[in-house]
Amino acid sequence: MNRVARALLVHEYLERIRDRWVIVVSVLFALLASGVSLYGKSAEIDAAKLTGPSLITLASLVVPLVALILSHDAIVGERERNTLGLLLSLPVSRIEVLLAKLLGRAGALASAVFLGLGGAMIVSEPPAAQALMKLMSPTLLLGLSFLSIGLLISVLARRQVTAASIVVVVWFGLVFFYDLGLLGLLVVSDGAVSQETIAQLVLSNPAGLYRIQMMQSFAGPEVLRDLGMSVSLPGPNAVAMIWVAWLTVPVLVSGLLMSRRQVD
Amino acid sequence: MRCIRARGVSVSFSGLHALDDVSVRLDAGNATMLVGPNGAGKSTLMRVLLGLVRSEQGRIEVDDQRVSIDKTWKAEIGYLPEAVAFSENLSGQQVLRFFARARGVPSRRVDEVLELVGLAAASGRRVRGYSRGMRQRLGLGVAILSTPDLLILDEPTSGLDQEGLTILWQVLRDWRDAGRFVLVSSHDLALMERRIDALCVLRSGCVVAQGSKDDLRHAARLPHRVWFDVEGTDEDRIDVLCGAMEKWGRGRIERLEGRLCVEVPPESILGLMEIQSGFAGAVRGLRVEEPTLDLVYEKLLEVA
Repeated sequence: MNRVARALLVHEYLERIRDRWVIVVSVLFALLASGVSLYGKSAEIDAAKLTGPSLITLASLVVPLVALILSHDAIVGERERNTLGLLLSLPVSRIEVLLAKLLGRAGALASAVFLGLGGAMIVSEPPAAQALMKLMSPTLLLGLSFLSIGLLISVLARRQVTAASIVVVVWFGLVFFYDLGLLGLLVVSDGAVSQETIAQLVLSNPAGLYRIQMMQSFAGPEVLRDLGMSVSLPGPNAVAMIWVAWLTVPVLVSGLLMSRRQVD
Repeated sequence: MRCIRARGVSVSFSGLHALDDVSVRLDAGNATMLVGPNGAGKSTLMRVLLGLVRSEQGRIEVDDQRVSIDKTWKAEIGYLPEAVAFSENLSGQQVLRFFARARGVPSRRVDEVLELVGLAAASGRRVRGYSRGMRQRLGLGVAILSTPDLLILDEPTSGLDQEGLTILWQVLRDWRDAGRFVLVSSHDLALMERRIDALCVLRSGCVVAQGSKDDLRHAARLPHRVWFDVEGTDEDRIDVLCGAMEKWGRGRIERLEGRLCVEVPPESILGLMEIQSGFAGAVRGLRVEEPTLDLVYEKLLEVA
């Protein structure tokens, strides 16, 4: 990575951690996570049974939102401010600009995740804190997947307001309504769509994969059965492949589009 | 003399020609202005030089050597985009510091540039609180930060007040005096006229005319206005003078208080000077007014 890209990476990180929306959502995440931990502590229930699953649900809602807020304006924002041309006129390649933006914003996302889960760990008892520590990397992975999706949206959109609208739809779609939609599909199809297909569709969504993976990790496979979910995780290689695909495919498509597009 | 040339550059967007076989020459120590109606291809040509738009045909040469638009080339270019708007959460100083780090410029240069563009006092304020002119000056500061060999300015006068214009003129003067290259695009020919050396007129992606200001004035063949100061001269002598002037003039003679004005083709100016010497007592002074670049531009477009 050359000097321009390094400067841009640091610049992006510092600018993003000052973004008021990122600050608001991150602090809210930290407060809610700490609240869940405190409640778990006072309820004297095993962290694996209450705190962990509650935080998984919370993180699967908030972290994708933070990631999408962080990344949706990466390119379209520069284009709208007429600074994309200025940035690309520096001695740096378009791919380097894209990667510097992604990594700088990934740093800001990591700060938000550490703030949220770190806050919860501070107020937790040691066993619960250890359980929370296990959440850190997968939660970051979830956030990075959505960061990657947000970056692609920022390359595709012609206006910042369009990008913002798309990320809202994506967030509601993948985080809120996806599982409901699948449930509806199951009901409407009246058995025509198999449970196995539905399970595969659940796992193909990064938010769904994260929830299933973490639930199983915290409370074992039986917890899903207890919840009436007939989803089982594929092998570790297949899980890793899904994550790698969500992390890299949107970035690769973004890079391809950026390198081909004429800058107006 | 060092020169940069764009030769036979063609660019099209969705099948429409934005630039069609355009060749332009920039000389060191000169400020060259791109001028033309909206959509003429001025900004596209600048973007080709900046590597933002790829040309389908043509090449860029420096001193007759073909160059590729790579990082080495880009390191020598400073660019002010049209209507630039930096991130509103950053201060002017933070914006310049980022570009200084990116270009490997020492941080003391940031303070120098802030002083130069008249933003030293406002350097700690967020861009959100800057006026349009201050933002434009900040953009100019970013463009000149690394003292690039080629300065590309897209509509640099936009939003600038008199103080801002003075700063811009100083930058243009410095770049020309140092023997560097300047390429400016602007709609404001009247404002830029005295600050540029050469002109390239574009229309519909084609070069209509290019050359020095004098070359283009000559090519346009527009009449010059010659003013005679006849303050205090009696009417009879003025009538005789007008008769002599009519012999040379193209249009009618305008009589204003204490002055006479006649439009003549450039080659007739010497003849009018002879008249002045023949009426030494009656004519106290003579002033030749060249056609403005606005008129030259209009004429060139009309002819093309």
